[in-house]
Amino acid sequence: MNIKRIEIPLVKYLMLFLNWGMVLAVTGLILVTTNNIRDSYIARDFLDRAEAVPWKPGAIFGICVVLMGILTLSFVLREIIQFKDSRAEAGSLALDFAVSIGIVCLLNFNYNGILLWVFANVIFHTKNSSGQFLFMLLAVLSFVGTDYGLVSINYPLYSIQDYISYYNAGQQSYILGIYNLLTSLNMVIFIIFCVLVIQEQRGTIQEVNELYGKLSVANEELQQANIQLQKYAVMKEKMGQTKERNRLAREIHDTLGHTLTGISAGIDACLATIDIAPDKTKSQLEVISGVTREGIQEIRRSVNRLRPDALERLSLEYAIQKMVEDTNALTNTQIFFDCQVQSLHFCEDEENAIYRVIQESVTNAIRHGQASRIDIQMKRRDGDILLTIQDNGKGCEKMNPGFGLEHIRERIALLNGTVVFDGTHGFLVDAIIPIRWGEEYD
Amino acid sequence: MNWKKWRIAVAVLLFAGICLTAAFFRSDRDTILEFGMFAGSNWDVANADSCIIIDKAIKKFEKTHPGVRIHYYSGIPKNDYSEWLARKILSGETPDVFMILSNDFDKLASLGLLASLDDRMSQDEDFHKSAFFQTALASGRQNGQQYALPYETVPALMFVNKTLLNQEGFGVPDNNWDWDWLLRICKRITKDTDGDGRVDQFGTYNYGWMEAVYSNGGKLFDENGTECYIHSEQVAQAVRYIHELSDLNQGQKVTQEDFDRGHVAFMPLSFAEYRTYKTYPYKIKKYTTFQWDCITLPAGPQGDNISIVDSLLIGISRRSCQKQLAWEFLKTLTCDEEIQMEIFRHSQGASVLKAVTSSRQAEEILRQDMEASDRVIDHTLLNTVIENGIEIPRFARYGEALALAESEISKIYEEEKNIDSSLKIARQTINHFLAQ
Repeated sequence: MNIKRIEIPLVKYLMLFLNWGMVLAVTGLILVTTNNIRDSYIARDFLDRAEAVPWKPGAIFGICVVLMGILTLSFVLREIIQFKDSRAEAGSLALDFAVSIGIVCLLNFNYNGILLWVFANVIFHTKNSSGQFLFMLLAVLSFVGTDYGLVSINYPLYSIQDYISYYNAGQQSYILGIYNLLTSLNMVIFIIFCVLVIQEQRGTIQEVNELYGKLSVANEELQQANIQLQKYAVMKEKMGQTKERNRLAREIHDTLGHTLTGISAGIDACLATIDIAPDKTKSQLEVISGVTREGIQEIRRSVNRLRPDALERLSLEYAIQKMVEDTNALTNTQIFFDCQVQSLHFCEDEENAIYRVIQESVTNAIRHGQASRIDIQMKRRDGDILLTIQDNGKGCEKMNPGFGLEHIRERIALLNGTVVFDGTHGFLVDAIIPIRWGEEYD
Repeated sequence: MNWKKWRIAVAVLLFAGICLTAAFFRSDRDTILEFGMFAGSNWDVANADSCIIIDKAIKKFEKTHPGVRIHYYSGIPKNDYSEWLARKILSGETPDVFMILSNDFDKLASLGLLASLDDRMSQDEDFHKSAFFQTALASGRQNGQQYALPYETVPALMFVNKTLLNQEGFGVPDNNWDWDWLLRICKRITKDTDGDGRVDQFGTYNYGWMEAVYSNGGKLFDENGTECYIHSEQVAQAVRYIHELSDLNQGQKVTQEDFDRGHVAFMPLSFAEYRTYKTYPYKIKKYTTFQWDCITLPAGPQGDNISIVDSLLIGISRRSCQKQLAWEFLKTLTCDEEIQMEIFRHSQGASVLKAVTSSRQAEEILRQDMEASDRVIDHTLLNTVIENGIEIPRFARYGEALALAESEISKIYEEEKNIDSSLKIARQTINHFLAQ
């Protein structure tokens, strides 16, 4: 692949060089020969042989050099700067085509290889292979269509042959030989170029196919892993259930079992003594009653311990209160927390999000807004929590990405909520967070 | 914003540049129109005043077109003019307006170097096609397009040795004379005067079958040079007639010397030669031993007293940037009666405008330089000769084709071949040549 990437530009530079040579040679030959004809006073004889004569050979030479300069410039721009805009690239190629047609007309179709150069560029910059074949066809058609022999049937054209025939036979064969050699060489290089481009295209397709194959294998493996993971999750759930059951069993065994065993043993003793010593039985029953009550306490404690997380976490309200108090104590900023929601027990991610949003907003208000007062309000409307944090700081006209606003937005977006920022009067964070109430713990 | 500013700046600079350039060219430089011309006469007669008419035309043109100057190279001889023009053309410096020699017209027109004048002719209200002699105007046409306008025209005439005719008891023939008349005179005149057994007095010199073909209503080629009519009855009659005339000479070759010594009665010559040798100073140098005059060529049985008419053409370069000015100047040269009248004063041909050539003033000018006894060519006659004349064909290979026809016919004369069948064979040969 790498070798071809060097070859193609090399071929293009070679073609450009060759075309410069041909255009200069044709126009230069006409210019020099015209002067020779003038100097040897055979202009009238020359006219007799000619079908047409060029308009100002000197001017043609000059204009051709300028036009070739334009072609070179647009080529260099394409190669080195590389247009980002594909329309600019297409425009430059269209300009190339127009310029090359201009050159071919100025040369009166005596040399049309410059068209191959332009089409080589067009083909190189065409991305899809069917377009490339179309342009190759167009190149061949335009090359044939601008052939001197064909055009000269209908239009009088000056002929490079007439100018060459000014020279003696030996020189003529040299000039003609070089002319034909270079023309053919240009064509051969164009064909080589086309072949290289096609090969490269083929190579790219192969590469894409290989990558696609690898991708589908990876995809399959991923699916397998996913299925295994699901099985594992089911297994893990079952294991969790078993573990939980074991814990329940242990708990029941440890508390209820122990108490019930005590009660049953005490009652058995009472049954034995109730007739003989009723007083002793009575006191025994009182003991049993105490044990039963203890048992109930024990069960309650046990059940409480079986709740998975509620008691392990700090409550959200407490955390917010603590933050408010800490801030009030440590800074000059006064925070007023107005919570109109009865119980702040949500899922962990929801609580986390609410806490972080408040924390980030307060930090922003103090650090960037230099606010002296911050009002935090939480309300419940339908299933949503409406959270507003308004400060009396400087606010800001433009949302600075450094404020962590993006984090707030992301957090809330994860919960399918929305947030609006407004920096015109102090700074306002207005968030609506949907809450999954159904899983609420009480 | 910056990009917009840049664009405005570039536009302003460009506009200022264009304005400055325009102002520079307008204020400081006259428009220069190049005119290509040769010195001397187109009719191969001596002419000392060749530039006078052009200078007058230029003066008149520059007066009516301020800011325009006409530039020309003086002193290019006619023989070098073709090469000079070709060199100019090859290096892309074709003059805006230029004279065109007969041999060059076809080549220049087919090379696309001449601007077609048809549109300008039909759109210009000052231009009237009908003012020109149609023969002269037609000589500037190729493939139905007018590429050049005639500037000066010259018909062929018949030189008559009056002294010799009077000596033999003949008067000068009328202008509507015919072949029989000529043959009658020639039969009487052609004889051995000094008794050495060799004929030494002749009827005609240089009167060939071509002249006879034209005055017999025939022509040798079609306009485009694709078809040869050498086998036609008119041509055959002419060839036979010339054969008859030359038979009178009993194999003697008539030479220019015989003619100059006054031993020949008739010779075709151009109107330009007539004017040159009739007027001072040339009339005392040539043909001094006898009196002479000019009449029309004799009419053949199917033709009229007409002859070939040669015109000097002027055209406009197709590559000229000043085509309108060039057209105005071309009109000054060819359509301006005042300038055209100068042709009678300072040149040897005739004006291409009917009104000028047939005017009394022109006749007066011709009369001025002649002796009272000389008969000046009647202006109405001149008019008819030019108007009805035959233009020289101007297709590319006319010269070669004519030479081929001449060699075929001289072969017929030399080898005493059957004229009709030989002409048919010759036609095939020439057509074959034309088709190549």
